[in-house]
Amino acid sequence: MKVQPLIYTLETMSKVDVAYIIDDDPIFIFGAKRMMEISNFCNSFKVFKNGHEAITKLKTENLKEIDIPEIILLDINMPVMDGWEFLEEFSKLIFNKKITIYIVSSSIDPIDIKRAKRYENVSNYLVKPISVDALKNILKDI
Amino acid sequence: MTNKNESSLFNFIQKHAAIGTWEFDIKLNTLQWSSETKRIHGLPTDYVPDVNSGLSFYKAGQNRDTITQLYTNCIEKHENFDVELQIIAATGDEKWVRSIGIPIIENKKCIKVQGSFQDINEKTLNTKTLAYKEQQLRKIFESAVVGMAIVDLKGNWIDVNKSLCKTFGYTKEEFEKFSLQDITHPEDTLIGRKSIIKMINGELEDFITEKRYICKEGKTISAMLYASIIRDDDDKPLHFVAQISNQTQIKKSNSEVIQLLETTKDQNKRLLNFAQIVSHNLRSHYSNLDMLLNILKVDLPETTKNEIFPLIELAVSNLGESLENLNEVAAINTNKDLKTVPINLLSHFNKALSTISALIIESKTVLQLNVDKTVCVMGVPAYIDSILLNFLTNAIRYKKPHKKAEIEISTYNEEKFVVLVIKDYGQGIDLKKHGEKLFGMYKTFHKHEDSRGLGLFITKNQVEAIGGKIKVESTVNESTTFNIYLRNDE
Repeated sequence: MKVQPLIYTLETMSKVDVAYIIDDDPIFIFGAKRMMEISNFCNSFKVFKNGHEAITKLKTENLKEIDIPEIILLDINMPVMDGWEFLEEFSKLIFNKKITIYIVSSSIDPIDIKRAKRYENVSNYLVKPISVDALKNILKDI
Repeated sequence: MTNKNESSLFNFIQKHAAIGTWEFDIKLNTLQWSSETKRIHGLPTDYVPDVNSGLSFYKAGQNRDTITQLYTNCIEKHENFDVELQIIAATGDEKWVRSIGIPIIENKKCIKVQGSFQDINEKTLNTKTLAYKEQQLRKIFESAVVGMAIVDLKGNWIDVNKSLCKTFGYTKEEFEKFSLQDITHPEDTLIGRKSIIKMINGELEDFITEKRYICKEGKTISAMLYASIIRDDDDKPLHFVAQISNQTQIKKSNSEVIQLLETTKDQNKRLLNFAQIVSHNLRSHYSNLDMLLNILKVDLPETTKNEIFPLIELAVSNLGESLENLNEVAAINTNKDLKTVPINLLSHFNKALSTISALIIESKTVLQLNVDKTVCVMGVPAYIDSILLNFLTNAIRYKKPHKKAEIEISTYNEEKFVVLVIKDYGQGIDLKKHGEKLFGMYKTFHKHEDSRGLGLFITKNQVEAIGGKIKVESTVNESTTFNIYLRNDE
């Protein structure tokens, strides 16, 4: 049996190249960016203020490999296009790269959590506030 | 007329019509009865009657006095008689008979009285029963609480009862001046017309409908009309029986109830929205605060090394906990279609006790758990866990200061409930002072560092959500007993 190390050193973890943050809350974006830096989560990230901005980017023809994210942190309650609508649109797209979506919401409503489970692309539901540990766990999962 | 002379046809008629004959000859002072007359008296055919014995069969008192008087009048005043009276036959039976007597006059003198004698007992009794029933029905009609009327096929009143008069404010005499249509609300005159035609055509026996009427004061009343039809032997319709029950008050109360229900629904919806605002919006602010504090600790550690920072951290953490509690309350109240399953109480108790084992050891709690391993209740497992945990931790937290916590747990059955009794010998609660607020949101009664009034509020909501209830008894500085009624699994 392989013994799991108690402390994960950053070097042992696979690092994400590109991450998307889809959230309309500037404070969360500020915090999430800083947390990502602290946890050495990714090489670069892109921020979108709502689902529509993100889906528009993802639908761009000849989207560069470097612009396709490996991880998307998706908020639910957003103006223009909310998280659920984004997921509907997203599921219609095909990429030659695995994209893992994490819903990151302040809602602890069981209905939202249940609904999130219905989407194949959604790998987990994270309740805000997110912590460095939560980000590290994501790196462990992918 | 002698027995020998009776023709066989006459005999036949006498026997089957139960009509006998008699003849009194005044000169000879003889009374002759036909065999049918004797039979009606319950006498053998060879019986020989005389005037006195003939009259003695009539029931003493009014009956006998009447026949004696009529008999005398017949002879002296030459008056016919035709009377229905009671006799007591030789067999002792009381019988109704019709006796007819005609004087035979010769030279202005009565020489004979001839007559018939008919057994009308059955017919009379039937008539009397009918009269009794008629009286019963009349009483019912007259004193019924519901307005009743007998109406002819054109809608004219034949009879109305008191209740109908009261409902409409008209007297019986006033009712006669107009028809049922006249007091019907003009917009409702066509209601029930098809049914009435069907009833007249013999396709329908009765119907119920709602109609508005105008009463004497001009006020509109809403009523239920129940109409049925009376037919003769040939199924020819004769008249309607209408029952008109005033629904105005009921309708008014009903609409008030509906309005109240609407208001409640509306308020409930707003509460739900409010709960959602709390759980979504406020929580996002809290999570931002929490996140920023964590970043601050990493990025600017020197700003956290003071007295204020830990207090800010505590305030933010308390805010988070309050929001979580509120969310829990909202979740219980919005979760209407709870699926309850049978739950073994003892195994869930053991689970709860192991969760708080540290607290039990630290507080040196003495616990008596008298729950049979077969006791099951219907519930949501997560709710039962939370309910047990809450009562246990409360019982420990509110122990007497500087003393061990003592808790006794038992169950008993009451109707469809398993009653879980949790008794602690702790500080007790002044129910007179706090009883009403005991299960309210954010009420705490003890000076205790962990006091969380929301606990009991959530617990109460969870118990009620799975069909139970809570009763509490307490004496300050002695003990508190919570009786938790949980649905049994039958």
